[in-house]
Amino acid sequence: MKLTVSHPSHIREGVTINKIMWSKIAILLVLSLFSAVVFGPKALVVVVVSVLAAVGTEAGIQKLTKQELTIKDGDAALIGLVMALLLPPTIALWIPVVGAFFAVALVKHAFGGLGSTLFNPAIAAWVFMNMSWGTLTGSESVPHIGEYTDLFIEYGSGRLAEVSAIVLVIGGLYLIYKKYIDWRIPTLYLITTIVMALLIGEELSYVITGMLFLGVFILAPDPTTSPITKKGRFIYGILCGILTVVYGYLTYDYVVAVLYTVFFANAVAPFIEKNTFPKPVNEVST
Amino acid sequence: MTTEEVKKETPKKKKESGKQVVIPLLQHIGITCKPLVKVKEEVLVGQKIGENTDGLCASVHSSIAGHVVAIEERLHPLCGKISSIVIESDETNRAIEYSPYNNPTKEDIINAVQEAGIVDLTGYPLYDMLTTYNRIDTVLINLTFPGDVSSNCTSENIPKIIKGMKLLMKGSGALDGAFIIHKYNRSLSSKMKSELHDENIEILTVKDDYPPVMANLLAYEITGIPVPNTQTPVDAGVILSSASGALAVTRAVNEGIPHIETNVTVSGAVRNPGTRRVNIGTSFKEVIQLSGGYSGEPGKIIMNGSLNGTAQPNDEVPVIKSTTEIIVQSTNEVLRESPGPCIHCARCVDVCPVNILPGRIASFSDMGMYDECFKLHVSSCIECGQCNYVCPSNRHIIQLIKFAKAELVKLLTIPDEEATPSPGCQTCENPCLLGAPFISGGIA
Repeated sequence: MKLTVSHPSHIREGVTINKIMWSKIAILLVLSLFSAVVFGPKALVVVVVSVLAAVGTEAGIQKLTKQELTIKDGDAALIGLVMALLLPPTIALWIPVVGAFFAVALVKHAFGGLGSTLFNPAIAAWVFMNMSWGTLTGSESVPHIGEYTDLFIEYGSGRLAEVSAIVLVIGGLYLIYKKYIDWRIPTLYLITTIVMALLIGEELSYVITGMLFLGVFILAPDPTTSPITKKGRFIYGILCGILTVVYGYLTYDYVVAVLYTVFFANAVAPFIEKNTFPKPVNEVST
Repeated sequence: MTTEEVKKETPKKKKESGKQVVIPLLQHIGITCKPLVKVKEEVLVGQKIGENTDGLCASVHSSIAGHVVAIEERLHPLCGKISSIVIESDETNRAIEYSPYNNPTKEDIINAVQEAGIVDLTGYPLYDMLTTYNRIDTVLINLTFPGDVSSNCTSENIPKIIKGMKLLMKGSGALDGAFIIHKYNRSLSSKMKSELHDENIEILTVKDDYPPVMANLLAYEITGIPVPNTQTPVDAGVILSSASGALAVTRAVNEGIPHIETNVTVSGAVRNPGTRRVNIGTSFKEVIQLSGGYSGEPGKIIMNGSLNGTAQPNDEVPVIKSTTEIIVQSTNEVLRESPGPCIHCARCVDVCPVNILPGRIASFSDMGMYDECFKLHVSSCIECGQCNYVCPSNRHIIQLIKFAKAELVKLLTIPDEEATPSPGCQTCENPCLLGAPFISGGIA
């Protein structure tokens, strides 16, 4: 009889990185299908190319550096998928390939791979693409939630992620219910954005787009790039809301506002974290 | 109750006793007992065989009648190897004359608890809780630890638990008492309510399970007095015991029987899981055989809870006073995943009952940066195992935290060549709730 001796705990809850990543991918795939309804099959081509480029880059890097292949955990696929959703369907197909390479190679693996990224790779790659080829990555249309059906499917959207707010809301609530993402950041981000927009008299129909919900439920609560302290996550959510409205108010573009918000908030997340370390309940007085 | 009645009762219980028992001389937090018997000496049921009056100690008693085979180091379920008294049964079950108290005074109760060597689930001797210099205001009995509840809170035991509570209140001079029950354990609270007829004793409900390692936090939750890691609830004027402790007190005072038996729930990969009343010192193997033996190949044997219990090196280890639960995992239930990178999801931060950053500390410990662990209050960790349970990346958070604590003790101890090694082994440091390693290590 051979017995295993190990430290506690001897059981695990069963939530794994794979489950978290693949649930997010499943939600975003549903969103991609909605975008195919709006934009036609061209949208799906962008998604497929982007995902393949991201996964291929990760596999190539890990083969070259002789690391263990981790494409099964879904992180690379998620990066490619999110990045594709930030682009317009009319994009030239070489741009997502370059973007995916930038995201996976330079933003993810150069900083140490999964769990060590400073910025959300998909957003960093979007910022890179937007700065390099601004005219090619710009959208032709701005979403406007004129009627309630626009929340379900928005035909006036310019980027893939904007097509359906409701898919992202249902998906996000599912993620929170399963405790795959934390509730603090999404709740505070959404509330702060709406309250701020109402305070300065913005029309909510331009603010509450699909992209805002992508930011609220997928981009901002990304575990690696958001603070880990409880207080820090409150502040992070509020900061995201403020930045979104400020950027949107000044540029009249609430879609791009979400993306730059998360990018800037990522940059200050470590500072928020450092200043909100909790005090232990049973602290040993020294 | 007269002595004859007690003697009549004993054979019924003793039929589950094994041929040989191993009684460790350290079954509590404190110093090791000195043996009072010699090899080949005859012992009776309930005879005191180990005692130490030099400090924090709970005496140990023989749980069977027979003769001493050996006094040597044997495996202990919590502390590696501990000197133990091995007794071989002569199948007679002759017991010493028990001296019960009919109308116990405060001194009688304290005396009985001391003589019986009662140890609570936290490992703290109850006698030292009763005779503290602090004024005791409240007696709390924690009925939220699943292992303890399933073993001890049967309908027939509930009146005895209530009696034990009253005895503890009288013995300590406390005016208030409370049973703490989990919010969703409605059947237990209704049973308790129907049996409880005392104005001074309340039933309080809490939202979480509080295993023995979280005693300080439970005292804080109920009384609002924060209890630092280096103290026990007694320092806040609270005696916090368990169903197992209360039952032992009732038996010690009303029947005069020392702490020689305990209720153990066996669960997991055994043929006939359930609760058994066993003698202290019975090996886990015999207890599992009483439960029908293993079903399939066992992979891991755990004492006291899957979340923060201790995995056993083999099934020869004895049942000790604080054993309430034996969990057998089959080979395919044993966790074998290799850990992945930390993705900073903060799930561990959300569940941490002491409000520290377990994942971050574990990462620093992994990199050998123990000073950073110290800055992040690694010493506050009570090792409840919840961060390890929720980690999506299968990281060995508790192991890394324990390692950091041990390394910090090495770093911060000033080597003293003349110092004699402390009595007992040092491996109790890991399950120690009182932060003892930090006292001996010189941090506090």
